[in-house]
Amino acid sequence: MKLKYIKIGLLTVLSFAFLACNDFLDVNDNPNAPTDENLGLNVKLPAALNSSASYEATQLNQIGGLWGGYWGTSNEGVGSFSSLKNYNGPAIRDTRDGIPVWESTFTTLFYYKQILDQATAESSLFYAGIAKIMMAYHFFILVDFYNNVPFEEALRGSVYLQPAYEPGQEVYTKSMDFITEGIADIKAASIVPGNDDILFGGDRDSWVRFGNTLKLRALLRQSEVSGREGYINQEIAKINQEGSGFLSDNAAVNPGYLNTSGKLNPFYESFYRNNAGVAVNNYAIIRPTQYLIEKYKEYNDPRLAQNYVAVSGDYKGVVFGENTVADEYAALNTSAFKGPVENGNSPAGILKAFNQSTVIMSLSEAYFLQAEAAERGWISTNSTTLYNSGIQASFNYLFNVNNYDISSYVAQAAVSLDAATNRIERIITQKWLALNGINNIEAWHDQRRLGYPDFPNSVTSPTPGAYPRRFMYPETELNTNNANATSQGDVGVLTGSVWWDND
Amino acid sequence: MYRRKLLPILIFVSLLCLGSGAMAQQQRRQITGKVVYQDSGAPISGASIAVKGTGQRTTTGQDGTFSLRADEGQTLVVNYIGYASHEAVIIGENRVLDIALSPQITDLSEVVVTGALGIKRSARELGTSAQSVGNEELNLGKVVNPLLALSSKVAGLRVNATDLTTGKTDPGIQIRLRGTRSLNRNQNDPIYVVDGVPLPDITRINPNDIEDITVLKGSNAAALYGSEGVNGAIMITTKSGKSGSGEVSFSNNTTFANVFLLPPQQTLFGQGQNGLYSPTANESWGDRFDGEVRDFGLPINGVQPTKLYAAPSEDNRLGFFDTGITVQNDLSFSGGDANGAYFLSLQDVRINGVIPGDKSSRTGARFNGSRRFGKLSTSFNMNYVFFKNNTTSDGPWASVYAQPANIDYQAARDWEDPTSPNHPLNWYTPVSGARNPIFMADNNRNTFDQHTFNTRLELSYELTDWLDVINRTGLYLQSEPGRVTNRQLVSTVASRNINGTVNDTHRDFNRFNNDFILSFHKDFGDFSTKLLVGQNMRMDNTKSINVQANNLLFDDIFNQDSRTGELGGGSTITKYRSIATYGEFTAGYKNYLFLTFTGRNDKVSVLHRDRNNYFSPGVSASFVFTDAIPSLQSNGFLNYGRLYSSFNRTGNVTLNPYALNLNYSQATGFPYGSLVGYIPSSTEPNALINPEFVRSFEVGTQLGFFHNRLNADIAYAYSDSDGQIFNAQTSRATGFSSTTVNAGQMINSTIEVALNGTLIKKQNFSWDLGLNFTYTKTRALSLYTGNEFTIFRQQYAIVGEQYPTLRMTDFLRQDGKIVLDQNGNVIPSEEEVILGTMVPPYLFGLNSNFKYKGITFGFQVDTRLGAWMYSEVIPRMYTAGTHIETVQYDRQPFIMPNSMVRLADGSIVENTNVYSQGDRAWWDAYGNIQTVTAAKGDYLKLRELYVGYALPSKLLAGQKLIKKASIGFVGNNLFIIRHSSNRIGDPEALYNQTDGYSSFRQIPTSRSMGFNVNVTF
Repeated sequence: MKLKYIKIGLLTVLSFAFLACNDFLDVNDNPNAPTDENLGLNVKLPAALNSSASYEATQLNQIGGLWGGYWGTSNEGVGSFSSLKNYNGPAIRDTRDGIPVWESTFTTLFYYKQILDQATAESSLFYAGIAKIMMAYHFFILVDFYNNVPFEEALRGSVYLQPAYEPGQEVYTKSMDFITEGIADIKAASIVPGNDDILFGGDRDSWVRFGNTLKLRALLRQSEVSGREGYINQEIAKINQEGSGFLSDNAAVNPGYLNTSGKLNPFYESFYRNNAGVAVNNYAIIRPTQYLIEKYKEYNDPRLAQNYVAVSGDYKGVVFGENTVADEYAALNTSAFKGPVENGNSPAGILKAFNQSTVIMSLSEAYFLQAEAAERGWISTNSTTLYNSGIQASFNYLFNVNNYDISSYVAQAAVSLDAATNRIERIITQKWLALNGINNIEAWHDQRRLGYPDFPNSVTSPTPGAYPRRFMYPETELNTNNANATSQGDVGVLTGSVWWDND
Repeated sequence: MYRRKLLPILIFVSLLCLGSGAMAQQQRRQITGKVVYQDSGAPISGASIAVKGTGQRTTTGQDGTFSLRADEGQTLVVNYIGYASHEAVIIGENRVLDIALSPQITDLSEVVVTGALGIKRSARELGTSAQSVGNEELNLGKVVNPLLALSSKVAGLRVNATDLTTGKTDPGIQIRLRGTRSLNRNQNDPIYVVDGVPLPDITRINPNDIEDITVLKGSNAAALYGSEGVNGAIMITTKSGKSGSGEVSFSNNTTFANVFLLPPQQTLFGQGQNGLYSPTANESWGDRFDGEVRDFGLPINGVQPTKLYAAPSEDNRLGFFDTGITVQNDLSFSGGDANGAYFLSLQDVRINGVIPGDKSSRTGARFNGSRRFGKLSTSFNMNYVFFKNNTTSDGPWASVYAQPANIDYQAARDWEDPTSPNHPLNWYTPVSGARNPIFMADNNRNTFDQHTFNTRLELSYELTDWLDVINRTGLYLQSEPGRVTNRQLVSTVASRNINGTVNDTHRDFNRFNNDFILSFHKDFGDFSTKLLVGQNMRMDNTKSINVQANNLLFDDIFNQDSRTGELGGGSTITKYRSIATYGEFTAGYKNYLFLTFTGRNDKVSVLHRDRNNYFSPGVSASFVFTDAIPSLQSNGFLNYGRLYSSFNRTGNVTLNPYALNLNYSQATGFPYGSLVGYIPSSTEPNALINPEFVRSFEVGTQLGFFHNRLNADIAYAYSDSDGQIFNAQTSRATGFSSTTVNAGQMINSTIEVALNGTLIKKQNFSWDLGLNFTYTKTRALSLYTGNEFTIFRQQYAIVGEQYPTLRMTDFLRQDGKIVLDQNGNVIPSEEEVILGTMVPPYLFGLNSNFKYKGITFGFQVDTRLGAWMYSEVIPRMYTAGTHIETVQYDRQPFIMPNSMVRLADGSIVENTNVYSQGDRAWWDAYGNIQTVTAAKGDYLKLRELYVGYALPSKLLAGQKLIKKASIGFVGNNLFIIRHSSNRIGDPEALYNQTDGYSSFRQIPTSRSMGFNVNVTF
C-alpha cells in the first residue's frame, strides 16, 4: 500500500521533472529587436552618418558657438551654458551635466567600427572606405578636444577594457592613413551604396574629395608645429597624386528630415523651432556676440541681415560670459537668429527650413582651407582666387542662390585679400564668418592654432585673458580607465593644450 | 542532473516510511474523539494526540477525529501548533473524548510562522529568523499600502517611501531586508508571497484582508524560493474566514494630510534682479518687500495689473498645496462550518493628493473560500482591484520653489480667467518659460486605470497520515491602460506655447505560477521527520504598447488622429520562464533539536542554455535548550531559550530577458520615410554570463523571560554576494558604455535585536512594549574595473567604503576653513570628499500599546542614525534667491565668518577684509559646492499614534444587531526631530529607489491625521 503511494509520488515528480525540457525555457529570442546577423550594411550606414551630422550640428556647434566667438547669452540665458562660459573643466567633464564629446564621439565611432568589421568580412569595399574616412573624421575631433586618446585598442569591447591612450599626433597620422586606405577602398569598390549613403548618395568622387579635404584640414591643423613640414609635403603629394582634388559641393547629410518631433534638422530643432513651429528655449537665450555684429558691420556684410533679426532697426549683440542682467541684454532687445518665420516664410541664411541638410563640411571651408594652404605654399593654386571662391560659396549658401554677386563685397579694403597686411588672418576671419552657424567648432580650433579671429574671451573667465585650450578627460573615463586618463599630463581647460596648439 | 539528485531522497524517504510499519500496537481500550477549535467549534486536523509517558501517538484526521488505544488512568496530551497544550485523563468507561483547544499565541515556544511555500511552521523548528506582524498591529496606522504598515515594526527591515514623480496618491515603496546585496539598485527587493504564491507586486492588497505578515529575513529562511528569496521574503497570509456564525464588519477611516518639512524659504525679498524690482523677473533677487502696490507682469488688454509687494504668507509655497484627503471604507463578511469557511471583503479607497487635482481610487474585492471533501482540501482565493490614478507630472512643484517669494499661489487658482494675471497667457514672465504651477498641474495629466486580478487554487490531498500532496496554482493578471496628455496653448510669445500631446499606453502582465509539493511527515519515537519535495513552474509575460502624437491640432481633442507630423509609438514583448525542483528535509529530536537541509535547483530562460541550471543548497539547525535542559527554567527567570543557525549558498539571476545578444534598434529619428537606420545597444552583451551566488550565514537566539512577559530575538547575519551579474561601466572608448559581467563582491553584516514585553498585565489594563534595533554594514569588496562605480549621481560604490557612499565636491579648505578667492568667491575642491554612507546603519523602532478597558492608546517611534542625504532642491533655491540663507546677510556684501583667502601669489591667509558679494552669482557658485546641501539624515520620528475606544459590551447588550463597535483617532508621520544640519526635508522620503537623495522632482513629505469607525454585525 505505502509502496504504491511512493511509486505514485515518484512517478509524479519524475514526470514533472521530465516536463522541464528545454523547449519550455526556449523563449529568450528577442521578439522586439533584430540582432547583428539580420542587418545589412545599408541599414547601418544611414544611422551612423546621421549621428555624425547631428553631433556636428548641435554639440559641436554649441561648443564652437560659445568658444568660437559667435555666441553669448541673453538675460534669459544667464544661467545657461555656465560650464562653457566659465571655462569650468570639471563641470564640462561631469557625467550628468557635462558635455559628453568623448562619449558621443566614441559611440558614433563604434557604429562605423561595426560597419567596417562587417564590410571587411563581406568584402564591401565602398562601405569599408566610408567607415574609414568617417572614423578618421571622428578621431580628429577627439584629438582636437582631448589630445591623447585610444586608437588601436579602442572600440574592441571588453577585449581591451582599459584602452591605452596614444599621443594625439600619432592618432592624427594613423587617421590620415585611414583616409588614404578608405579612398583606395572606395575607388576599388564594385558594390556601390545608394540612398543609404545619405551624405553623397554613393558618389565615388564626392567621397574621395571629401577625404582629401579632411586631410587638408588635418594638415593645416599642424601648421604651427615645428618639424612637420616634411610630413605635410609628403601628405600633400599623396593628395595631388590621387588627383581628385577637394570638395566641389557642401558635404551635407539629409536623411529626409520630417516635420515631426525628433526628425527635423537637428540644428533647426535645437536652436530655432520645434515641429509645431514653436520657438525653443535656446532661441530666446542664444544671441550673437557684440564682436560678431561689429565684424559684420565693419565689412558692410549683407550676411548680417540674412542671418539675424534687427531690433528697433539695428543689430544688437551680447557679451560672452556676462553673468549680470541688464536691459540691453534682454532677449527682446538683442538680435535673434533669422529663420523662415522672420523672413516672410522663405529660407533665411543659417536657418532655412526644418528639412535643410546638415553640413558636415562646407564647400566654403574647402576653399578657405585651400586658400590657406596656397598662402603657405603647400599647393600652387592662387590664394586670392580660392579666398574669393570661399566667400562666393558662403554667400551662395546663405542667400540660397547659385551665383550671388560678391564683387562689391570683396572689393572693400577690409575684405580684399590682396589689401591685407596679414593674409592668413584675413582668410581665417572670412572663414570664421562663413562657417557661422554651420561648423562653429572650426573657429575655436583656428583661434587656438593661430589666435585669429581675435574675439574677446569670457568676461567671467577664472583667469583674466585666458582662452580655453582643451577638454578634460570625462568623469566616465576617470571612473573606468583611470590609470590612462590620469597620466596624460596637464589636462586643464586653460592650462593644458593639444599637440598641434603651439600658439 | 537534478533528476538524479531527487532519486536518493525519495528512496531515503521510502525507507523511513517502510520502517514505521514495524511499530507494534498493544492491546488496549479503543478511545475515539474529536479535537475542535474552542472559539469556533470547527474541527482541527493534524493535532497530535500522545499517550503520556509511552511514546504512543496519533494525529487527528480532516474532520478532527482520532482514535487510539489506551489504558484507564493514562493521560492523553493533545498538541496543535499555535494552541495551548491540553491534557485529558482516561477515566472509567469514557471512550469518547471531545477536546477543544484554545489559542496560546503568546507562548514563544508555540509561535507559528508562515514558512517558505506558505506552509505553517512552528517557529522552534526554524534555523532562521522570522518575525510576524498580525492584522491588528498592521492596521493600527490605517495605511493604505500594506508595505508602509511594516515600517519600523520588524528588525532588519527598512521601508522608504519613494516618490516616483506621480505624486503622493501612489507613493512607491522601497523595502530592504538586511541591507543591500546587489549593485543593481533595483535588484534588492524581497520576494512577495501571498498565500503561498509569489506575486510581482503587493501594494494593491487591502491591508485589512491580511491575517498576518511573516517576514523571512534572509535567503536562509527563503531558501526554498531560491533566487527570488535571496533578499528575503514577505509572506502574506490573507484571512480565510472562521467557522461558526457569520460576521459582517464595516469600517470607515478618513485622514487628512498636509505637507511639511519644506526647505526653509525667505520672506524678505521679492522678484527682480540685482536688487532691483522687475515686474517680469522670475527670481527673488529684487529689493526688499515694502508692502507697496507695484506693477506685476505685463499689461493685459492695455491694463497694467498691480500687486502688493509682500510675501503673501509665512510660506507662499503652501498656497500651492491642498490638504490631501484619504477616505477608506471597508466591508467584510466571513463565516463557515465544520468543513468550510469563506471570507469576502470589499474595499473602496479615495485619495485626493496634496497637489491640486491629483487623485486616485482603489476599489477591490476579495473572496477566499475553502472546503474539505474527506481527504481532499480545496481552497480558492480571488482578488480583484481596480486602481485609478490621475496626477500631474513633476513640473509644478519644481516650479513653485524657484519662483519669487511674492507669488500668491492661493490666488493663482483663477488661471482660467483670461483677464487674470494668473492666466497662462498673462503669467508675469513672458520669456523665461516659467508658468503658473496651478495651471501646469491642470494642463498636464497623467492617468491610468490598473486592473489587477489574482486567483489562487490549492488542492491538498491526504494520501496517508504521513503524506500530503499539494498543488497550488496562481494566476496574476494586470492590465494597465494609461494616458498622458498636455493641452496645447497657443501664444504669440513663443516661450508661452505648449504643444498639445497625447500618449496612450497599455501594459499587460500575466504570471502563471504552479507549485506541486509532496509533504511527508512521520514521527519515530523521539524523532520526527518532515520532507517537502516540490516543483515550481513560472511563466511571466509582459506586453507594453504606446501610441503618441506630439502635435495635436485642437485644445480638447486628445486623439492621435488630430495631429500634424508622424504618429509615434511602439511595443515591447517579454517572456520569462523558469522551472525549479526543490526539497527540504527536517529531522527533529524530542521536539527540541532540529536539523534542516534544503536544496533547490533552478533552470531559467534568460541564461544561455548551457549555463541556465544552478543549485542552491542550505543547512540549518535549531536547538531549544530550555526543553533539553528543563532545569534552566526552574528559576522562573528564563522560561524559553532557543539557539539557531543556518548557512546557505543561493544562486541568483538578475538578468533581464534578451540580454545575451547584441540587439539593434532604429536610431533616434529613424525611419525617415523609407530610410532605415539601425544602431547597436550601448551595453555589451555577454552570452557567457553565469548565475551569481550569495553565501549567507546566520546565527541567533530566541529567549523568553518571566513566563514570556519579555521575549527577545537576537540575530547576526552575514552575506557575501560574489560574481554579481551587473552592467559594469566601461570606458566609452571600448565602444560600449557598459558590459554585462559576473563581477563585484559585496558583503553585508547585520545585527538585529527585537525585544517584546508585556510590562503590565491586569484584568482591565495592559501595556505592551516592543523595541527593535538593527545595525547593518554593507561594503563593496571588489568591483569590475577600478575601485568605484557610480550608482546614482553622487552615490558610489567604492571599494572598502560603506555602501552606498556619498562623495561630492567640497570647498577648497585649509585647516578645515573655507578658502575664498580674492573676490570673495568660493573655490571648489580639486578632489571630491567622501562623506559617508547614504543608508542608515542604525535603525531603532519602538512600539507601545496601552489598553485600559475599551481604550487603546498606542504609538510607534523610530529612529535612524548614521546616514547622509543630499538635496538638489536647495542649490536651485539659492540660484532663484528663495532660500532663507540668501538673506542672512541682508543681501549685502559680507565677510564670510571663519574663512581664508587665497592671494594672488597662491598663499592662503585669514580673511579679514575680503567681502563676498552675496548676489545671485555668488550663491549660485556656493550652491555648486555639493557638500553645502548634504546633511546628516539622522532622525527620530513619531510615526504612528492611535487612540481607540471600543464600546463596552454592556452598551451593546439588549440588541442582536451590533456585536462590536469602536472609534479611533490615528495619526501618521506626526512629529520629527532631525539632525541640526538637515534643512533638506524628510530623510525617509527618497527619490526613485535611490538612497538618501532628495530631488526637486519629489514633492515634500506630509503628515496625516484622521479618525475611524469600526462596526461588527
